Amino acid sequence: MDRITDIAKKILAEAKQLGADYAHCTVSENEKKEFNVDGGQFSLMRTLFNRNIVITVLKGQRKGTVQINRFEEEAVKEAVADAIAASDSGKPDPAWEFAEGPLEESFEEGTPECDTDRLFMRTKELLETIREKHPKILMEQMITEHSAERTVFMSTNDVCYRTRSGSYSFSLMYSAHEGEKSSSFYGSDVTLKTLDKPVIECALIERELAAVEQQLDPQPLEGKFVGPAILAPMALVEIIIETIMGSFVGDVGLIDGTSIWKDKLGQEVADSAFSLSFRPFSEDVVAGCRYTGEGYPAEDYDLIRNGKLASFALSQYGANKTGGKRAGNQSGNMFIEPGKDTLEQLIREIEKGILVMRFSGGQPAPSGEFSGVAKNSFLIENGKIACALSETMISGCVPEMLRQIRSISSDTLKDGNVSLPYIAFDGLTISGK
Amino acid sequence: MLQDLLNEQKKLFSPGVHTELRGQKNRNRRVILLSGDVLANVRSDVSGVSARVYRGGVWGFSSMAEYTKEAAEKVLKAASENAAFMEKHAGNGKPALTPFIGSRPFIMEDIHDPAQKVYVDFAREVDGYIAAHYPNLTSRKVIATEDSMEKLLKVSDGMDAHILAPRSYVYVFLSAETPAGAPVELFRAFGGSGTFDVNFTDPSALHEGIDKLYEQMMQKREGIYADAGEKTVILDGMMTGMLSHEAVGHTVEADLVLGGSVAAHNLNRQVASELVTLTDFAHTAFGESCPLPVFTDDEGTEAKDVTLIRNGILTGYMNNRESALHFGMEPGGNARAWMFSDEPLIRMRNTAVHPGKDKLEDMIASIDDGYYLINSGNGQADTTGEFMFGVTMGYEIKGGKLGKALLDTTISGVAFEMLKTVDMVSDQVVWSSSGFCGKKQPMPVGMGGPALRCKVKIGGR
Repeated sequence: MDRITDIAKKILAEAKQLGADYAHCTVSENEKKEFNVDGGQFSLMRTLFNRNIVITVLKGQRKGTVQINRFEEEAVKEAVADAIAASDSGKPDPAWEFAEGPLEESFEEGTPECDTDRLFMRTKELLETIREKHPKILMEQMITEHSAERTVFMSTNDVCYRTRSGSYSFSLMYSAHEGEKSSSFYGSDVTLKTLDKPVIECALIERELAAVEQQLDPQPLEGKFVGPAILAPMALVEIIIETIMGSFVGDVGLIDGTSIWKDKLGQEVADSAFSLSFRPFSEDVVAGCRYTGEGYPAEDYDLIRNGKLASFALSQYGANKTGGKRAGNQSGNMFIEPGKDTLEQLIREIEKGILVMRFSGGQPAPSGEFSGVAKNSFLIENGKIACALSETMISGCVPEMLRQIRSISSDTLKDGNVSLPYIAFDGLTISGK
Repeated sequence: MLQDLLNEQKKLFSPGVHTELRGQKNRNRRVILLSGDVLANVRSDVSGVSARVYRGGVWGFSSMAEYTKEAAEKVLKAASENAAFMEKHAGNGKPALTPFIGSRPFIMEDIHDPAQKVYVDFAREVDGYIAAHYPNLTSRKVIATEDSMEKLLKVSDGMDAHILAPRSYVYVFLSAETPAGAPVELFRAFGGSGTFDVNFTDPSALHEGIDKLYEQMMQKREGIYADAGEKTVILDGMMTGMLSHEAVGHTVEADLVLGGSVAAHNLNRQVASELVTLTDFAHTAFGESCPLPVFTDDEGTEAKDVTLIRNGILTGYMNNRESALHFGMEPGGNARAWMFSDEPLIRMRNTAVHPGKDKLEDMIASIDDGYYLINSGNGQADTTGEFMFGVTMGYEIKGGKLGKALLDTTISGVAFEMLKTVDMVSDQVVWSSSGFCGKKQPMPVGMGGPALRCKVKIGGR
C-alpha cells in the first residue's frame, strides 16, 4: 500500500474510533517546478515539495473540517481529533449528505512527469519570440510551471478515488510601452499537457499580444451612448459568468433565496443561441476534476441549453437545502457554444460600439446589475476598429444582456480549462468623459 | 510556537552568497453561518521550511512541507542548485546585494489558539441578535475568522527574526430587497490585529455597529442610482485607504515600476495636490500602532516607514533589497511572503494618506451637487494608475446636505490626475485591515486615510 493510501485509511479508522458517523479525507503530495520572469528578465527558479490533508467528519449531522500539511502519525491523529471537536461545536443540519459506495476508481490525468529542461527552453523561447515579434511589449511578470500531484480521496462510505495528474501552465502579465506612453496591463494564460509546440501559438496569446500593442495611444470616449459591446472571453467571464455562478445558480444564492433565477429552472433565461455547460471530460481540458468535493463521480452537465436554464450549480448539500438536484461537477470547466461568424464579422456588423478585452468592475450585485471600466478596449465605428479607448465605463444588467445577444463568434479561447467565444450584446451603457 | 531548529543550519550557508532560511506556520480558523446554518466550520494549520539563494542576479528557491532540520538542509541544497541553474542559463551579472547589519534578533511573544467552539459560539450569538432584531432581512451571513502567520527567519547578512502576526475578524453580511424586489447587500468587518479571543470577548460590543449597518441597509434598499459622469465627491477614509493601496501603492512597488508602471516616469514630479502626503507605514503611524504592524521583513531588513508622496511630489518607491540597489534607495522592509512555500515579494504594510485640517461636516456643506462615498466592496487598479472601486455605501449630496442613499455603483479615474483635484482633507484617519492584497500571493495589509474632497468619474445605471 502506498503512503498516502495508508494515511487515508488511518484517518478514517481514527475518525470512526472517535465517534464520527461519517468521515472523508483527501491526502495529497505535490511537486512544483516554476520559472519566474520579472520586468522582462529571468528572476527566479522554484522547486516546491508540498503535501496536504483535508479531513471532514460528520457526527450527529454536525460537520467539522480540518486541513494540515503534515504526515506524521501524531499530527494526523491530532487533526482528526480537531475535526471531531469542530463538529461537536457545530449545529446539526440534516442536509449534509455524501456519496455512497462501493465506488473505487483510479485516474491518470495530463502529464505527471516534468521535463524541466524543456520547460525552461519553452519559457526562454516564448520570451525571445515576444521580444522579436512584439518589441513594444514589456513582460511585467511571467510564471511558467509544471505541477504534479498524487491524491487519494477516501470515505467511510466505501468511496475511493486515486488520481495522478500533472500539467504545464504559462501565465503572462504584460503591457505595451513606447517612451512614456503605455497600455493597460493584460494577462494571458494557458494550461498544457505537452510542450510540443511554441507556447505563443497556444490559446489566444499571439492575438492578445498584438491587440495590446495597438493600445499604446488610447483615446478617451466623448459622451455617453447606449449600444452594443463585444465581450472577449476574459471579459465574458468577468461580467457574465461570475454573476451567473456567484449570484444566480450557486448554493448560497439559492439557499438564502436571493437568486433571481430561483424559480426559473426549465425556463428561458437567455437568447436561444446561448448554451453554457461544464465539461471536465472534454478533450480540450487538460486535467478536469473526476469527482466532487462530496465524493460523487463527476460528469459533464449543461447549465443553460439553447437559452433555457437546464440545471443549477448545486452541491448535494445545496440540493438538499433547496429541494433541487445536485449538479454534475464542481463547475470549473466552462464551455459556451460557439457561433458561426468570425470576430471580424461581429465587428463588421456594428455601427458604433466597443470591443472589451478585460473588465474591471465591482463585485457582481445579486440583481445582476454591474458597472465598471472597460479595460484594453477598442471603439468600433462603421464596422471597423477605430481606436483604443481609455477611461471608458460600461454598465448593464446581466439577465437583460443574456436576452440581447446579437451574435456569438466561431473563434474561441481554448486555454486547457475553458472554451469560450466572443459574444456581442446589445443595450449596454457606454460612457466616457 | 515554532522551535528554533534553524540556527545551526546557518553554517550550511555558502560564504558570500545571500541566503535566507525560513520556517513558517500559517493557521486559519473559519466559521460561516448562512441564515443560521453552519456552512463552514474549518481549521487549517500549514507549516514548512523554505530557502532562497541569490547568485549572479537571479534567485533559487525551494520549500518542503516539513519543519525539521533535515528538511531545512534539503531546501538549502535545492535552492542553491536552482540558483546555480539560473545563473548558468539566465544570469545577468548584477552585483551582490548590499548586506544589512541587523541591530538585534527580533522575537515576539506566543499567541493563543482558541478552540473552534469559541468561534462557533460567538458567530451564533451575533447571528441570533440579527435574527431576533431584524426579521425582515432576506438573508444574513456571519463569518468568524482568524488568520495568523508565524515565521522564524535566518538570513546570511541581515536581521534574524521570530515574527508572529495574528489578526481576527467577524464579518456581517445583510441582504434585503428593494421595493421593486431587487436584492441588495451590505457588509461590515469588525476586528483587527490580535487573536480572536482577545479581539472578541463580548458579542454585544458589535450590536451598535450591526444596528448602524442595518440602518444603512434600509436606506440603501430605498436608494437611487448615481448619475453617471465626473462629479465632485467626498471619499471617506475607507475609500481613501483603497485609493492609497490600489491606485497609488501598487504603481510605486519597485517590481511593478521595473515592469513599466506609470511611476517609472514620475519620480520627483508633482503627482497630487500639495495637500496629499502618502506613507507606507511599518508599525507606528500618527503616534499609534498600525492596524497590522511589521517590524522586520522576510529578507531580514528592519522595517521603516516609506514616504511615497510628500506634499504632492512622488518621492520614493517600496523596495526589496535587490530593487533598492537598482534604484539607489534604502530598503524599508517591504519584502514579505505569505506561506512557507512563497518567496518574499514587495508588499505594502500600512498605507495611508496623512490627515489634513478640514472638518468632514464642512466638506459636505461645501458641495452643492455631488456624492459622499463611504464603503467599497472591492477595488482594482492598472499599472497606468487607472483605477476602479466598487462603492457599496454612499449618499448623494444636494445643497450641502446628505440626501438619499446610493445603490451599488463604481468610481474610476487615473490616480495621478485625480489626486491633483484634491482640495480638502479631513482631520480624522480611518483604517481598515480585514482584506487580502492579491499579487501572486495573498497578503494581509492595512490601509487608511482621511476623507478627501476630489473629482472622480462615477458609474450610473
